[in-house]
Amino acid sequence: MPFDLATLDAPFAALKGYDWGADAAWLKTIDDAVVAAHGDAALGADLEQRLAAVLGAGTSRAAKEYACRKLMMIGTAASVPALAALLGDADNSHMARFALERIPAPEAAQALRDALGTVPPGLQIGMIESLGGRGDAASVPALARLLAGDPKLAAAAATALGHIHTPDALAALTAADPLAGSGVGRAVVDARLMTAEALLASGKRAEARSVYEALANAVQGKPGAKGVELAAARGLLACLDTLAAAS
Amino acid sequence: MAEHRQHESRGKTRRHFFKTTGATAAAAYAAPYILTSKALGDATTPPASDRIVMGGIGVGNQGKSDQGAFLGRPDVQYVAVCDVRKKWRDEGKERVDAKYGTKDCAAYVDFRELLARDDIDAVHIATPDHWHSVMTIAACQAGKDIYLQKPETLTLREGPLMIAAARRYGRVVSGGSQRVLGDYRSIVDPIWAGEIGHVTSIDISVGGPSMLCTLPAQPAPPDIDWDLWLGPAPWEPYNSGRCDGNFGTGGNSWRSYYDYSGGSLTDWGAHHFGGTIFAADLLDLQPTKVTFHPASADGKEAAYVSVAYPNGTEIFHNRPARLRPEPTLTFKDALRIVGDGKSRPAKPVPEYHGGETSIYGDFIACVKTRQRPFRDLEPAVNTMTAPHLIGIAYRLGRSLEWDRATQRFVADEQANRFLDRARREPWII
Repeated sequence: MPFDLATLDAPFAALKGYDWGADAAWLKTIDDAVVAAHGDAALGADLEQRLAAVLGAGTSRAAKEYACRKLMMIGTAASVPALAALLGDADNSHMARFALERIPAPEAAQALRDALGTVPPGLQIGMIESLGGRGDAASVPALARLLAGDPKLAAAAATALGHIHTPDALAALTAADPLAGSGVGRAVVDARLMTAEALLASGKRAEARSVYEALANAVQGKPGAKGVELAAARGLLACLDTLAAAS
Repeated sequence: MAEHRQHESRGKTRRHFFKTTGATAAAAYAAPYILTSKALGDATTPPASDRIVMGGIGVGNQGKSDQGAFLGRPDVQYVAVCDVRKKWRDEGKERVDAKYGTKDCAAYVDFRELLARDDIDAVHIATPDHWHSVMTIAACQAGKDIYLQKPETLTLREGPLMIAAARRYGRVVSGGSQRVLGDYRSIVDPIWAGEIGHVTSIDISVGGPSMLCTLPAQPAPPDIDWDLWLGPAPWEPYNSGRCDGNFGTGGNSWRSYYDYSGGSLTDWGAHHFGGTIFAADLLDLQPTKVTFHPASADGKEAAYVSVAYPNGTEIFHNRPARLRPEPTLTFKDALRIVGDGKSRPAKPVPEYHGGETSIYGDFIACVKTRQRPFRDLEPAVNTMTAPHLIGIAYRLGRSLEWDRATQRFVADEQANRFLDRARREPWII
């Protein structure tokens, strides 16, 4: 039986004035509709439109937060503009990412990439985390540029590049200083090790070994680098284990 | 922070020791720190070279219990506590100082300051679940061994990243279900002895998934750093019921709510799933099929979910009583286990390392020997995969297929959106 869209009118009217602590039993109607939208394109499109409308001016932070939670589940490219408009807003940026990070549409990744260059530094870290979480290869150039700047952003960018672990991400990480201070070097090292592990897991043993060897050589004998040397040595042993297992 | 300045000289001494002695990298990872107090030990206290220097992150509620277990060990030197609540931070410090008869225990609000100390070998973490992955990965990077309270993960993506960090830095990371071996011997022993054959089905009765918190805003008391309590979770206004540390899951505790916990399903579930998955020898496996069973048409029977493992074992969560088969073994009213009764060779039950009798002792023994602990992070993560999958099936109201190799749901784009959650800036993993 088709979902009766009219049953959503009252809950969405209430949602626009919703705040934490208010009687919210009616939220269940929207919750259930979002679940029911699986396989019901018309219902999904209607819900998405209604939820995106909640993200505009004149609604509470609690209402916007709830809408973002539901758009995380059913959002498409259609709701990206409304979500992207919140990325620069300190109160709502995270919840906009809460949805955008999980929406697989390429428009969602593009919105995060665009925001990376425009939002304040405190929110930039969030964009970096989400782009890394998505494994967004297209963001590598922008992330690579951050490696030489503000230490907090550089460390976050390094971690994201490690999650992306494409050849150009590795190239950017290899060019960065593994002994840099303020947590940047630790993040660069961690990201290079992450990349090597991904290479090894995909059967690219020689490439993984190169990453471990290059890292070990870069830090050999340097103060404070014993942990890095040990991690690289452990990685090289894993390469040998893989070789032994294959032979 | 002024509260921990007194320990800086200790950290410098340790760094200096390794620099000037040319100690090996392996020693840098494994060797405990030189202490000035009771350095040579006595009849009841091992020498400093055999003591593990520890700190605790999250020392109220379960964290208090964990702290007590480590603090009571003569082979542990407990030096620091961290909590975003002043009351718990102060009480945690007082317990340590009272134990040693000093005022030396450092107290931190921000866990990063504790992890930055070179003199600390190991930490125990007992924060709400939404912090576990961030803190565990950071602790691994800082070269600490970790005793991590269950449930070890909040999302499915976190587990492999945490395991990778532990292996990358050679850390000992123990999950924190003290009950897995401690409580369930009555089902573990007969199954491992081969007495009931292959386990075909397990019924677990435990509460369901967490819910959205809609509690109203309250003024945050001055003794809590609310932003740091929330950490990577979405910002929501302070309410004591949102963050209280009790064990309930029906509201008025963080374990009730989606942003901080998987609910009873992953909280008490970590024990019940942990005990049965260990008993049934499923620790190396993850489920492949997740079946959602809708509520009865008359509404008298609630929906329930089951997971199937590749070896044929099925686990049912809250299956209606009339549908459960006659069990071969039971554990209280919570677990009903069915075996096929066929012959199965007996296997020795894994025990805690070093002859220890608790999971805490097991962890310390492994910190010393660098063995993987009884509740190593990898089987702990495998265990938690089951309740996480079940929780997602409840939220979506449909059956799912799980591909362990890719750590993704098969042909279900929407389910894959639940693999992880965007973390609030500046927290990343």
